[in-house]
Amino acid sequence: MLASYNLLKKYVDLDGITYQEVADRLTFAGLEVEGISFLAEATNLVIGEIVECENHPDSDHLHILKVNEGDKYGINQIVCGAPNARVGLKVIVARPGARLVKHDITITPSKIRGVESNGMCCALFELGVDKLFLNEKQINGIEELPEDAPIGEENVLGYLGLDDIVFDINVLPNRSDALALYSLAREVGALFKRKVNIPEPKKYDEVPTNFTTSSDTPCCPQFSIKVVRDVVTKPSPLWLQRALMAQGIRSINNIVDIGNYVMVLTGQPLHMYDLDKLKGTDFSVSEEYEGTLVALDEKGYEIGKGDLVVTNHKEPVCIAGTMGLLSVAVDENTKNIGIESANFKSASIRRTNKKLGLSSESSAHFQKGINPYQDEFVLDLTAQLLVELADAKIIEKTSRYSTLGVNDTKIDCSVSYINKRLGVDFDANKVIDVLKTLNIRIEDFDGDNFVAFPPDYRIDLKCDADLSEEVIRYVGFKEIVSKLPFMPTTTGGFTPNQQKRLDIREMLVNNGLNEILTFNLVAPNFDHDFALLNANDEPYVIMNPMTVDHSVVRRSIVPSVLDTIKYNLDHQQKDLAFFEVATINTKNSDFEELCIALNGNKHIRGELEKRPFDFYDIHGYLESILSMLGIDKNRYKETRLKDSKFYHPGRTVQITIGKEVVGVCGQIHPNYAKDLGPTFVLDLNLTKIFDVKVSTLKMAQFSKYPSVNRDYAFIVNKNVLVGDMIKTIKKNAHSIIKNVDVFDVYIKSNEDEKISIALSLTYQDDNKTLTDSQINEVENAVLQALLKEYGAILRG
Amino acid sequence: MLEKLNEIYKKALVDIEECNGIEGLQNVRNTYLSKKSELMSFMSHMKDLVGEERIKFGQVINSIKDDITNKIETKRKDLEEKRLQEQLEKEVIDFTLPSVEVAKGSKHPFQLIVDEVNKIFIGMGYDVAEGPEVELDLFNFELLNVPKDHPARDMQDSFFIDDTHVMRSQTSPIQAHVMQSKNGVGPIKIIAPGKVYRRDDDATHSHQFGQIEGLVIDKDVSLANLLSTLELFSRKMFGEKRQVRMRSSYFPFTEPSIEADISCFECGGKGCRLCKGTGWIELLGGGMVHPHVLEMNGFDPKEYQGFAFGIGIDRTAMLKYGIDDIRKLYANDKRFLKQFNTK
Repeated sequence: MLASYNLLKKYVDLDGITYQEVADRLTFAGLEVEGISFLAEATNLVIGEIVECENHPDSDHLHILKVNEGDKYGINQIVCGAPNARVGLKVIVARPGARLVKHDITITPSKIRGVESNGMCCALFELGVDKLFLNEKQINGIEELPEDAPIGEENVLGYLGLDDIVFDINVLPNRSDALALYSLAREVGALFKRKVNIPEPKKYDEVPTNFTTSSDTPCCPQFSIKVVRDVVTKPSPLWLQRALMAQGIRSINNIVDIGNYVMVLTGQPLHMYDLDKLKGTDFSVSEEYEGTLVALDEKGYEIGKGDLVVTNHKEPVCIAGTMGLLSVAVDENTKNIGIESANFKSASIRRTNKKLGLSSESSAHFQKGINPYQDEFVLDLTAQLLVELADAKIIEKTSRYSTLGVNDTKIDCSVSYINKRLGVDFDANKVIDVLKTLNIRIEDFDGDNFVAFPPDYRIDLKCDADLSEEVIRYVGFKEIVSKLPFMPTTTGGFTPNQQKRLDIREMLVNNGLNEILTFNLVAPNFDHDFALLNANDEPYVIMNPMTVDHSVVRRSIVPSVLDTIKYNLDHQQKDLAFFEVATINTKNSDFEELCIALNGNKHIRGELEKRPFDFYDIHGYLESILSMLGIDKNRYKETRLKDSKFYHPGRTVQITIGKEVVGVCGQIHPNYAKDLGPTFVLDLNLTKIFDVKVSTLKMAQFSKYPSVNRDYAFIVNKNVLVGDMIKTIKKNAHSIIKNVDVFDVYIKSNEDEKISIALSLTYQDDNKTLTDSQINEVENAVLQALLKEYGAILRG
Repeated sequence: MLEKLNEIYKKALVDIEECNGIEGLQNVRNTYLSKKSELMSFMSHMKDLVGEERIKFGQVINSIKDDITNKIETKRKDLEEKRLQEQLEKEVIDFTLPSVEVAKGSKHPFQLIVDEVNKIFIGMGYDVAEGPEVELDLFNFELLNVPKDHPARDMQDSFFIDDTHVMRSQTSPIQAHVMQSKNGVGPIKIIAPGKVYRRDDDATHSHQFGQIEGLVIDKDVSLANLLSTLELFSRKMFGEKRQVRMRSSYFPFTEPSIEADISCFECGGKGCRLCKGTGWIELLGGGMVHPHVLEMNGFDPKEYQGFAFGIGIDRTAMLKYGIDDIRKLYANDKRFLKQFNTK
């Protein structure tokens, strides 16, 4: 919200205080001044009159001017390109040495195409005025000052009313009152303990009115109309134009400007009706209207039940609080005006604005909440301005509908409560004094307890905690002395699952993987892919997405991780090893997912020694993670995943624990990796894996008797899984085979049906030294079993 | 005869000296010390001598033999050492060639911040709480004192799934979940990191970003306690010299509400580009838990008080690591990621 410092000074005495001090104090009290700007910013200006104007011999548009700058500076020659430069025109001259701050220009004596020039005639935007407030003529040429402008006047910005400072204040939702300049003045007055002078509007002899007001809905508890007759539409005086300019509002004419100005001062949005366009004298507010209404912006809006509408003689005249209808709007010919000051409930206006996609300065005020107890003041002030600035002749009495009564907000509080909440030990009188300074009425103060009555405009003050905030924001947070909480000891820490997740992430990082962070909201086609862990879940879909690319809550992070690989390959980054852990939320389940993806080469010594990633790299991560969590190999099952269109049918396994699929590990199907090249992925449901009950860590005894190693080479069909053979060996080993190592796999050619597998078996007994015959016996049993189950023939 | 012995001795010394290989040295040994050597043949003359002369001759010949043996042994050691030296010189390598990479990856900077903040607060006895990212409107807003159509909803333009479900726009709903799980009995000391979502996208805002919520509730917890907690935290996170100041602010679920700034860790408070010349950096928002929020979530506001705060993860990461554009956090370029490989 913009606030004019000149306007502020009009209502609160700020003598001896700098605007910077005011800005700082407001900021720390919760009304953050985010920016300070100047309506115009220029030095070394003077008002002059063009006394000679000749064309420049070497230019088709430049003029050589002689400008009379008054007694002090005399007549000076200035080369000027403005088309409207002419003899007799009063102009703004920036003298040599002048700084035009916003454009970062310093004026120096110079020669323009060989002709001496000592200064510059200025347009207002060159002084820093926003072009938004200027007409085409003002933008294309130099500013034309009135004929009575005083030659030689050096306080040019003052003369033009442009010597104002504008605060840009971030008004937070609780302080909607500060949208009114009067409230801001009261706040500043309180903060600096300075006198605030907000005059009561003038009282005129009012005539009775025929107009009636009513409301059919609790969403409009108050609705007032004041009729003012015989107004004359004309331009606003300079002071009003400038005041509005500082507030960021363009001046239109005196009638419109008065409406805006009153809203600036009081925070109360007004609406004005052209009485001669109305059908009757009865105003009402309803939320039952249905139909299309054409508003001031000449667009049609579909109004339905629940939208507040102001009606006159049963005909709609205004989309309440938001925008009036074109058919009854005031224009330059308007003579008689009905001024509306109403209170529409914030929630209702919000709903309608959202639905219609329509909002206005007025509706923004209603949405944030307004002071509901000032309609009579507001209407009287408007009437006064219409008399003073628009020659209004007849003022009728206000027709007022209200169910609000008087403000009965009352807060029971105590100084000790405030001190306890803030962790301070403020003197009781100091606390009470602060509250009173903020215009909060205090009653029944007994040294600790008291009753507080907030002023009408502070609709945010409702409970004792609110008063504690008032005290601390007033005295300043510097008064709080840092103090650690004194409370029962807590151990704190991660839950077991949080700890496991951290351990896995750190293990992966320490193994060379880069952790990534991708978006949870994805494009719909992204969602269909790779959701193998929760294929039957229904995804959440965003009702109001910003783009279709982020419109579905993903069911799997795999596509995002693959997309990250693609992004990096597109940016000349190769040999990628990424992982991410993220939460998955679907309509059916919530879990944490881990995805690891490998692409390109595993580097052993940089480019000097590297090899392509393969299945056994990604599978190694699977084994390490499960082993780190204490999940033995016999707790989970791996089966070949043959029928997924996302994964390579010969190089992918699905991991199940009990009956549940907890992960997929393997190579991305070449159809899905066309842009990527061979890519290996581990996709795990961490939540399910963390839930696996594991035994606590205990040392296992190891045998002190010697072991014997025997090596074997088998010829088997190539579809035999070595893992199955090892299981068979262990089953027949009577626990004296402690270890089985694969030390060679020989595949002669891909066409060959047979392959050779070499295994090394370690025989060892826990209780005795094994004899040859004991080993031979087990060996025989193992070899028989392998022959029988796999047709494994021992090579000679 | 002694002259003859001396002659052999001298010749042996020359042969040993001139020998330049282990094999040659063996020949020298054979020439002078084998049983058939000239020197040893003199031993047979011993029997021709008697008395003093015999003793003396024996001494001379033995000393010559011992000396030649020692000299050969010394020479052998020299030659072996020389050969080893030559071998070692041939084995020289280029120590600047690439070494075997002891795998070292990187945490994402977003997670680095989360992990570090968790560690700091766990050290102070906080638990780590989490909650769903698809949240009920009830928890995301209503139980936090933001009823439907409340103006404060404008502060967080949210992604809705339907009338009751929303992508959580803040980590504060975790507060409500934790409070409700405690059935009105304190104390509560939690930190709650997580991703949140808002309809926002530019160089400093991403539609997905991170927050870390803190909540402490007990019978005598005050704003002064919040200040000291934030001081401890920012000194651990940004350096021992950090000062914290609080400014008045507004959040629907805290009263009073504050914004906390820390003294700039780049310039120490003198004013620089990072702090835009103010000497202070906006760090987080917080305040005393609103009595309505306590009440709605099962705590008696007459008995319990508490403070809450929320830290922006992305913003903290950007400040701490000098990241200039939030989009870099989510692009996951390997050149960006691999920089975050130190503790």
